[in-house]
Amino acid sequence: MNPAFLKKIKRNDRLARWLITAGGMMIIFSVIFILVLIAKVSLPLFFSPSAQLYSSLQLQSVEQQNILAIGMDEYLETGYTLDDRGELVFFSIKGGRELSRQQFSSDGTATRLLSVESFGHQKHALLWDDGSVTVEQVRFTPVFDADNDNQRSIVYKLERLARFVAPESGRSVQTLVRVDAQGRQTRVDLLAEGTIELYQRAVTENFLGDAEVFENQHQLDATVNGRISTLTLSSNGRQLYAGTDRGELLRWDLSDIDAPERVDQLQAFADQRAITALNLVFGDISLAVGDDRGGITTWFPVRKGEQQPVLTRIHELSGHHERIEMISPSSRDKTVFSLSADGLRLDHMTSERFLLQLNPPGKIARFALTTRGNALIALTKENTLLSWKLEIPHPEVSFGTLFGKVWYENYPEPVYAWQSSSASDDYEPKMSLAPLIFGTLKGTFYAMLFAVPLAIFGAIYTSQFARPRLRGVIKPAVEVMAAIPTVIIGFLAALWLAPLIERSLGSLFLSLILVPAALMLSILFWQGARKFESLKRVERGFEFLAIAPVIIMAVAIAATLGPGVENLLFAGNLKQWLFTEMGTRYDPRNSIIIAFAMGFAVIPILFTIAEDSLSNVPPSLKAASLALGASRWQTVWRVILPSASPGIFAGTMIGFGRAVGETMIVLMATGNTAIIDLSIFNGMRPLSANIAVEIPEAPVDGSLYRVLFLSAVILFVMTFVVNTLAEIVRQRLRAKYGRF
Amino acid sequence: MVDFKGLNMRKSKYFFWRVGEPMVWLSASALAVTLLCALTLLIVIMVNGLGVFWPSAIQQLELQDGSRIFGQQMQVEKSPDAEALRRQYKIANRDLNGLDFRWIDEAQIVSQTEPQELLVLERVEHGDFYGTLQQLKIGGQNVPVTPVSLQKELDRVTTALDELAELEERLNRASYRMEQLRLKLLKLDYQSVSLQAPKRQRLLEEKSRLEEEFNSLVNLQSRRVTEIRKGVALFTDAAGRKKEISLADILQVYSPNRMTVGEKIIFYGHKLVELLVGEPRESNTEGGLFPAIFGTVMLIFVMSLFSFPLGVIAAIYLREYAREGLVVRIVRIAVNNLAGIPSIVYGIFGLAFFVYGIGSSIDLLFFPERAPTPTFGTGGLLWASLTLALLTVPVVIVATEEALGAIPREMREGSYALGATKFQTLYKVLLPMASPGIMTGLILAMARAAGEVAPLMITGVVKLAPSLPIDGNFPFVHLERKFMHLGFHIYDIGFQSPNVEAAKPMVFVTTLLLVLIVLLMSSVAIRLRNKMKKRYTFGTF
Repeated sequence: MNPAFLKKIKRNDRLARWLITAGGMMIIFSVIFILVLIAKVSLPLFFSPSAQLYSSLQLQSVEQQNILAIGMDEYLETGYTLDDRGELVFFSIKGGRELSRQQFSSDGTATRLLSVESFGHQKHALLWDDGSVTVEQVRFTPVFDADNDNQRSIVYKLERLARFVAPESGRSVQTLVRVDAQGRQTRVDLLAEGTIELYQRAVTENFLGDAEVFENQHQLDATVNGRISTLTLSSNGRQLYAGTDRGELLRWDLSDIDAPERVDQLQAFADQRAITALNLVFGDISLAVGDDRGGITTWFPVRKGEQQPVLTRIHELSGHHERIEMISPSSRDKTVFSLSADGLRLDHMTSERFLLQLNPPGKIARFALTTRGNALIALTKENTLLSWKLEIPHPEVSFGTLFGKVWYENYPEPVYAWQSSSASDDYEPKMSLAPLIFGTLKGTFYAMLFAVPLAIFGAIYTSQFARPRLRGVIKPAVEVMAAIPTVIIGFLAALWLAPLIERSLGSLFLSLILVPAALMLSILFWQGARKFESLKRVERGFEFLAIAPVIIMAVAIAATLGPGVENLLFAGNLKQWLFTEMGTRYDPRNSIIIAFAMGFAVIPILFTIAEDSLSNVPPSLKAASLALGASRWQTVWRVILPSASPGIFAGTMIGFGRAVGETMIVLMATGNTAIIDLSIFNGMRPLSANIAVEIPEAPVDGSLYRVLFLSAVILFVMTFVVNTLAEIVRQRLRAKYGRF
Repeated sequence: MVDFKGLNMRKSKYFFWRVGEPMVWLSASALAVTLLCALTLLIVIMVNGLGVFWPSAIQQLELQDGSRIFGQQMQVEKSPDAEALRRQYKIANRDLNGLDFRWIDEAQIVSQTEPQELLVLERVEHGDFYGTLQQLKIGGQNVPVTPVSLQKELDRVTTALDELAELEERLNRASYRMEQLRLKLLKLDYQSVSLQAPKRQRLLEEKSRLEEEFNSLVNLQSRRVTEIRKGVALFTDAAGRKKEISLADILQVYSPNRMTVGEKIIFYGHKLVELLVGEPRESNTEGGLFPAIFGTVMLIFVMSLFSFPLGVIAAIYLREYAREGLVVRIVRIAVNNLAGIPSIVYGIFGLAFFVYGIGSSIDLLFFPERAPTPTFGTGGLLWASLTLALLTVPVVIVATEEALGAIPREMREGSYALGATKFQTLYKVLLPMASPGIMTGLILAMARAAGEVAPLMITGVVKLAPSLPIDGNFPFVHLERKFMHLGFHIYDIGFQSPNVEAAKPMVFVTTLLLVLIVLLMSSVAIRLRNKMKKRYTFGTF
């Protein structure tokens, strides 16, 4: 033969071998790749946060000695300091070049600033030495220069939000002022003698369109054991909190200008430790309390029964070793920044996760956050200005929040909850996977309860008793059943089956009794009837055709009698009875529907695999058993079923995997409520449906997005385990019986 | 001694129970229940889906309270409180009644007639209208009212509307060209081509010319529309309320009470054709399914292009090339896992890998000027197809492997004995013999793809796609576009539409269509496989 031709053939053969082997390897690769990729997306959830020192500046000039407030824009370009003369100095963070100076004035006789309280988005309440207070806000806005390649520059603007005159009596130790969105002003002074003075002013428009001024001044009742050590005020000025040096917490409700009310006074710490710092966590619901032993706890009012809500300790954060000097909330999420002599710590409230500790050389005197919470600027006692870039990807997610019970804000107790988003920004996302995993397992359990007996017994009958001719029809029919799209099963379950079952719940339960009873009766009847030779032919593989009318009739009787029975036993309304007597609510889209629909969806695959393994048991075994005088059922039960059991097990596992991952049916036919309740009258929210519902709305690379990927990983692992198990069993079986 | 007690047992009353005969019956009933469930499902779909387009008679009912309604009877059932029967009527006229359906107790009905002159109007908006024709005005002139004159005027309007549609087609083309120009200009901006460059000037000139053409077309269109809308007809509903409807808003008029059975069958056929080739209307609850059918077919086609070669190659590797051992066992486990991974996991993988991974990279490389508007970096037909291809590869692998395994060893040995290489044997002998099995796998994979919805929901399927993935604009095939899909259509109109009750008929019709497609495909596949099994069963087992 032509050697060139031979060479070509050989080359082709090698090439093909190489290509085909690569193709085969690609399959393993893709399974691993899928897992790796989805795991990679979810992994950053558990990355530990980091802070990177961005710049360090030593303040030199003498006049900048007594700095009361600092701040920085979110691009880490411009910072500012405010000293006790009311002078604001803007400088560049990198290099420290001074950019400009602004002078604040009190509009009065004051010349010096006593203290500054910073809150919210770069807002500062300046307390002047004549007792008056001004509220100033520094606003940074980025400007993009369209002509110059969209170069960004930061423009800063100062705005005075309010001015408060001095209180009439005494010298104040701590002064807090707030202005809410409607312009309502609140000023609280803690006076040296321990009393609290309150001043409020609101301007409203009455129905004639005239402005009406409400103004009032109060002395708050502050009789406490010990001395009030610190105060904090909510950002709308409606809630005032105080802590004492004997561990007491007080709360006032200031919503009514004319009648402020003390709503809480309690001994927060049994050991009477002093409360040294208070602040409200973002959202103004939780109160962060710092004490002199370095502990940080968060509190919010919880209603127990019919009583008034009482401040309750909810979370305990990691804490310091020294006295807490200052607590500051993030203005983006529920992160709490706390300062003590041993450094600055970041903790997330909901997840109780310790995020970071900043331990710069030198003690931090004060610190401030950018509006976006992405950076932090701090001033040390040695007058060094330090700034850090913060990288805190997903502070609200921890192992505990994903799988454990968490006490969320405004909840009466710790719960497992899934509620990923809400309309407001200060919302606490609830991302517990526990109810979702529970939902998946619950749906699967009920579906398997319906599917496994039907499919396995059906397979036994088809492979062992049915006429071969009928078997040739039944098996393809069931296989075709497998092809029915699940979206159709789900749609029928939700829009046809659910209303039907809701209307005739009584009939459903009646048929659970009537169908088995009818079966028993017909078997008894058959015992007599089979004496006739002509009827006995039914026993040669037509039993299922003979029994079908019995089942249809039993269901029909149940349907007609159902309402009557419901009238007789449950006063006409089974659902009402369930609610009042059993305390379970009936959801129209519930586990019964899921059992039927998802069971129906997994029956074909279970049936096919079980039937295959039953048929593949060597006929010699069957023949031997029958020859020894065993009846046909005894043969099946004692000989064939044990040999085929690994295959049946594999089929059950694969069916389980199907049910776990099924999406469309559960999406349509469950109420999609994430609850943990085993009742068959409730719905559920499984992992798969949750992914389908939430992923289109989830911002890419956000916490929700990654948690959804994590739930995909969980689904993957669940199905991977059962499928691998099933496949290993099947491979063993194949080796045993020499078939593929 | 042999104990013959067993023989005596036959006469015993308990023999029947002892040998487990009742268990046989129980297993028979398990099978019966399974089959009955499947049968019920098919019957429900058939009953609800087939009747939707049948023009059943409109009844005129006089009720006890003196009111009158026109309606098509939908179903009869026992009323929840009393023992009496109640009937559900489709009363249409959504804009006047607010509801499409109404339950009426039989006891309330005084009389029931089927007047000949009752008309059913299919409208562009607000669903059907049931009523009688009062007046016909064309351009302010009254025209004598007869069913024939109405039909004649409607035909005239239809021709005018067809012309308008042509105009719209031209408008669409013009706006597409304008969009392309805008993108080209954007690209020039991005490449910082100077404002005076001749290239840019040329584009700008073309743009102004196009804008002129576009505006004149828009003017022409609005003139035509006002002209067409001059023809109106006045109808009265059951309560005697008058309703003026522009002829342009009427799609079709028919009077079911006058139709003979033959005419009804023809009408039914017309509706079926409209279903297959028409565009959807009224947020998909009426009209046709063409874009959804087209999208499904396109998706299956593109998916097959990827999954078919990959699956077949992998199966050949497993069956013919790989040596039995640990690697093959692991590959088998991998294949089975691939088959068992939940489809939603594939979807989320497709989203992360194809859409945000590859798609975004393509955008960065080739369309940086369009940022932040994504081109490939968002769900689309290509990404959905690739996701489904991964999902269906195991189906193809298993079927192909089975087909190759069923070929007797003698065939291979014969081929080798004649001096053929492994590849030649594969190419010339094994693949042709296994082709029915491979076809089976492909068809099963297609059926699976046709019914799968969950992964598509996150990789590019939409409720209403503005344009098909194939059209007359270069490069003709637009795989980055979003698409519609029959399965998603069911989910969408059954669960997301504002008026679920009115959408139900359409859902059932879509369901029926999808079930027919899928069942047809899979029964063909299974039949092929069984035939093939019979052909080669000798010698293997």
